[in-house]
Amino acid sequence: MPSLRFSAIGTDWQLDTALPISADLEARLHARIDDFDRTYSRFRADSLVSAVAEAAGNYRFPDDACRLFDLYDGLFDSTHGAVTPLVGRALEQLGYDARYSLTRRGPGMPAPGWPDEVTRDGSTVVTRSPVLIDVGAAGKGYLVDLVSELLHEGGVHAFVIDASGDLLVSGPEPTVVGLEHPFDPSMAIGEVILANRSVCASGSNRRVWGEGLHHILDGRTGEPTREVIATWAIADTALLADGLATALFFADPPELADTFAFEWVRVYANGTAERSVDLPGRLFS
Amino acid sequence: MRTPHKYALSAFAGVSLVGALAGCSAAGSTGSADTPTSSGTDDSSASSGPFKDGSYTADGEYTSPGGAQKIEVSLTLADDVVTAVTVTSDASNDPTGKQYQAQFIKGISAEVVGKKIDSLNVSKVSGSSLTSMGFNAAVKKIEADASA
Repeated sequence: MPSLRFSAIGTDWQLDTALPISADLEARLHARIDDFDRTYSRFRADSLVSAVAEAAGNYRFPDDACRLFDLYDGLFDSTHGAVTPLVGRALEQLGYDARYSLTRRGPGMPAPGWPDEVTRDGSTVVTRSPVLIDVGAAGKGYLVDLVSELLHEGGVHAFVIDASGDLLVSGPEPTVVGLEHPFDPSMAIGEVILANRSVCASGSNRRVWGEGLHHILDGRTGEPTREVIATWAIADTALLADGLATALFFADPPELADTFAFEWVRVYANGTAERSVDLPGRLFS
Repeated sequence: MRTPHKYALSAFAGVSLVGALAGCSAAGSTGSADTPTSSGTDDSSASSGPFKDGSYTADGEYTSPGGAQKIEVSLTLADDVVTAVTVTSDASNDPTGKQYQAQFIKGISAEVVGKKIDSLNVSKVSGSSLTSMGFNAAVKKIEADASA
């Protein structure tokens, strides 16, 4: 099976495809990923979100940004403000900044209210203050979907996209995916079987830079979460799966299921795991 | 795509187990592993008989290792289909009781047991160990600085 590997948005990607990816299609993939990075990376001084962080105003985002921000609207409501794209400054406050200073500057900084500070008119984002947007909760999954769409447009329909833990399986061939043990990457705590679906993982214990400091913040307090340490969400799109994997740190699954269709696994700091009754797979016990 | 409606049916499958447990005593804690899955129960739940539309509420009691526990279940039926389920936990501050009730309300719970990925027949792994190269590089640098 042809396989294309590359690094993008700070992580490793692998595309396993039934048909080879042409040089032309590969070039389009990289161009699209560069576009995404120039739009959403708060780690780049020349990105659109870095410009947004400079001053309040009207900013034209790519047309497809609506899908990403629409999901954030839903996650914000379902988690009562815990999941929000405005955690950028709160992450900086804890040291997760563009320079990777990894030094906490002070107490947790609650995120500005997403509906209060930002309104949208189509893909134009109108801000009332210089907010720092961070799409870490769902951005990678969204880029997986964009890459998937480009592959389909290029005539490649059967593939697995693996963006370092966030996966999309396109095609009817079932793929068995191990769920990595939060404390030991050589082990799995379960497995799920996917066809034409996505599984995304979120974990708080891998990117840790100090006592209790990690990148999954509650937007209401600006402080890292503690009780849940790892989550997986399975959904029809990687955007949805990625966003829900983050939301599972803050909201009870039945509450999220009122709005979203997905299956899930949660691992707690005390070593127990919970899964949805309809998980397409199993946990080892 | 699944709907909230189907999720409600999944919850219903768990709720029926609570009913079964009401007759149990201290053995209640072992029931969690046998919680029925949603597959197969959806259709039968929807078509197993002519029910009157409306809301139904029932109390259940069972004994957990932490003592007697109460749970209230309300569900709404429309055209023989469960359209809403709420499970209200009346647990005291006993954490054990809360934990068992959480299993029925939220999903199936188990101790995490790892298996070597090498020993499994999986073609991919989903996890967070490889997430950020920039972050990992920064941590390495800090460690190097700190040990210099």
